Amino acid sequence: MKNIRKFAAILTSRLVLIGFVVVSAFPIYWMFNTSLALDSELFGTGQDFLPHLERAGDVPQKLEDVGIFGLLANSAFIATGVTVLSFILAVMAAYGLSRFKFHGKGISGFVLFSTQMMPEALLVVPLFALFATFGLLNSLTGLVLANTAFSMPVAVFIIKTAIDKIPYEIEESARVDGCSPAGQLGMIVVPLVLPSLAAAAVINFFDGWNEFLFANTFIRQQELWPASVGLAQFMGQYSTPLSTVMAAALLFTLPAIVFFLLVQRQIVSGLTAGAVKG
Amino acid sequence: MTVLTDRKKTKRPQSLRSRAWTRSLPYLFIGPAMLYISIFVMIPLGRGVQLSFTDTKLINPQGGEPIGVENYAELLTSERFWNSFVVTVFYSAAIVIFSLMLGTLSAVLINRSFRGRALTRALLTFPYATPNVAVALIFLWMYNQSSGIFNESLAVLGIGEVGWLGDPDYGLFSVILATLWKVTPFVMLVVLAALQSVPEELYEASRVDGADVLSTFRAIVLPHLMPTIRVVALLMTIWSIRRFEIIYLLTGGGPVETTNVLVINIYQQAFQSQKLGMAAAIGVLGLLLSLIVTVVFFVVDRRASLAESQ
Repeated sequence: MKNIRKFAAILTSRLVLIGFVVVSAFPIYWMFNTSLALDSELFGTGQDFLPHLERAGDVPQKLEDVGIFGLLANSAFIATGVTVLSFILAVMAAYGLSRFKFHGKGISGFVLFSTQMMPEALLVVPLFALFATFGLLNSLTGLVLANTAFSMPVAVFIIKTAIDKIPYEIEESARVDGCSPAGQLGMIVVPLVLPSLAAAAVINFFDGWNEFLFANTFIRQQELWPASVGLAQFMGQYSTPLSTVMAAALLFTLPAIVFFLLVQRQIVSGLTAGAVKG
Repeated sequence: MTVLTDRKKTKRPQSLRSRAWTRSLPYLFIGPAMLYISIFVMIPLGRGVQLSFTDTKLINPQGGEPIGVENYAELLTSERFWNSFVVTVFYSAAIVIFSLMLGTLSAVLINRSFRGRALTRALLTFPYATPNVAVALIFLWMYNQSSGIFNESLAVLGIGEVGWLGDPDYGLFSVILATLWKVTPFVMLVVLAALQSVPEELYEASRVDGADVLSTFRAIVLPHLMPTIRVVALLMTIWSIRRFEIIYLLTGGGPVETTNVLVINIYQQAFQSQKLGMAAAIGVLGLLLSLIVTVVFFVVDRRASLAESQ
């Protein structure tokens, strides 16, 4: 009797889990499937459930034709800029918040957190005016600057949590040996929190890669569109075949999935590795 | 250890210059980030608040006249604004409640070891990594009224077409569904990390007591998870209040304003009706909503942690 109940419990939990997996993965699968279908099938005879893999060879040319690679290059530029800028600012801020007591520490933490509840839609208008004054509209640099303000605080939280776990004694002994504060940060703390730095960098990179609202509002020149804006535009105009839009969307999505999976492992190992050895 | 105590004994009084250096040191680390946020968030925010008290138009962004609280007065008596407010609260509440339930459930299910666990977890993480614009595109296609997979499947079952995004009865539901797909894995990952820090002895003890899975979860695991769940609930709430892309690209606030959350309303006022002052006023009220939620959270969190430690 007890065995039957245990078996039933395991079976139920497995079935629920399988249901979750199907729901999570299906839209991605469907994006892939749609990218290999013809519009005549999609809007006429019906979409086959299995992908037409034999058409995969045509996809690169179709992507080339809609100029997705230029769009992705713009996204990559924004993402790289956001990552580098916010990395420098966040490492320093996280170290400062983790290792020192000072006046205004509470307010600094709150200011960082408050960026997470600020509707970008509210800031779009004044930022638009600010950027117009400094010639930063229609500029990828402008997007890097605007996006970093919202991505960097997240990096600060991740990195600060990691630094908090490192015992101060290691830096203390380095300090006694005459190591400067910057040296303690760069030579002792940073190597110890590498997994968290990687996680923060990936999160920031894809914040920049994915961002839509600022890009959609600030960029008027089509050559400067990032992929997020370009893809949304494709969907609005019916001249681009749906399969091409989906192939482009998949190409836009895959790097994000790969990198998030990579750091996910690093985060877990970072959590379990324990603080200090020896 | 000996080094440390030696150090204490030999500590000399610091010179004035080195004391000033020590005192300014934390500000040198935190300063650049604070300066950055001041320039790109706080000053624009101040300008936004100021705009909300003017009748500034998009065609002449520098030329608005101060009109006091007129924008706010108009909003508080406007049906459209209150509709946005109610939709925002309903949308956020639905996202928080269901993402927490489903995210916690999937974290618990995946926390035990079984074959294919790494793959399962990877598949469950996919939506979290998918860019918002891509989420909107694939759901737009799946929700497509005449040819999307949802209605095609319903047709097989002999059920007629549903206007997932076009029917006022379904619009908000469909937007919530797409959002849940995207955000639930975040809850799962965070709760999973917290679950892995539940000491193994606690499970063992309850197993010895003969407790079943459900009561073990309620008595032992859930209390351990509560601090994490509260933080996730706060993040989910304030992120939901400001979420833009998915809703904007799926419905643009329609049908008949049933998905017209505050941020969509801001965008429409600013870039369609061209009323920057009015848009800013809605933004300020939206921000106030987030602030109230955050303050309530910190009060509840403090009380709860006090209660839990007793």
